[in-house]
Amino acid sequence: MNSKSKIPCIPIEGSISWKDWLKGRRARRESSKLVAPGVIRRKSSSSDRRLKKLFNGERGLPFTPTEKL
Amino acid sequence: MDVKKIRKALADISAEQDPTLKSAKLASLCSALWAEHGVQLVVVGGSAIEILTEGAYASGDLDMCHVTAATLPIRQRRKIMGLVDAKGGPRNWQVAGMYLDLLGPAESFARTPYRRIEAPYGSFLLMKPEDLLVERVMMSFYSGKNQTAYDCAKILIAVALRHEIEMNWDEVRRLANLPEYCNLSECLKLVREVADELKIQNPLHPD
Repeated sequence: MNSKSKIPCIPIEGSISWKDWLKGRRARRESSKLVAPGVIRRKSSSSDRRLKKLFNGERGLPFTPTEKL
Repeated sequence: MDVKKIRKALADISAEQDPTLKSAKLASLCSALWAEHGVQLVVVGGSAIEILTEGAYASGDLDMCHVTAATLPIRQRRKIMGLVDAKGGPRNWQVAGMYLDLLGPAESFARTPYRRIEAPYGSFLLMKPEDLLVERVMMSFYSGKNQTAYDCAKILIAVALRHEIEMNWDEVRRLANLPEYCNLSECLKLVREVADELKIQNPLHPD
């Protein structure tokens, strides 16, 4: 647990519960977006053909907006 | 795991529209099924970074490796993946509305443990953030700057500096000094950059 904010931390030893992992999602997204804003998914890769076929021209499902995490 | 439970899990994962939840749940289900055959899987690469950071990076494929020494014969792999209606194989599968790539043995140099999440269909392992970080820093500067790898390294550092994942910084330093990576100066520079950006004390330069 992050002592300052009570945001569950993914620990080195042991495990994190599903509930705590879910609870920390928004905080992790916010931290990530402080240093790399927006979607940083690669624009292309060797898997493009199969990905775009499955995801209607995209490389994956759209990310859930931060406010909904 | 009995067939009824597998069908229920599969329906849940297929309906899931959040890409990170979908990956995590699929990793949970596949880890449980392979573990029944003595093979321990681990989520690696960008898929692991996404689950650790929520960085909006991963694409629609989940990369997993096996931690245990040997994998299973192709026939047995097909049998297990058949339980979840997977198409394709023997290494790349389409399952529950996404792709799963089973890439072979996991490569890790860190002495820290794999991270573990207790997920709905069983716990699953994630590649060690120390390995992921040093590797992404290397990819960031390998034959010219790679902006995506650079951003990935930055989000891992940010989430660790804000104590949302626990990182062993001494281990990061040790790994970066290994001949396999030999990128300590780049690691130090990037951690300093992110620490300065976030106005957080730099764990690799405590002064």
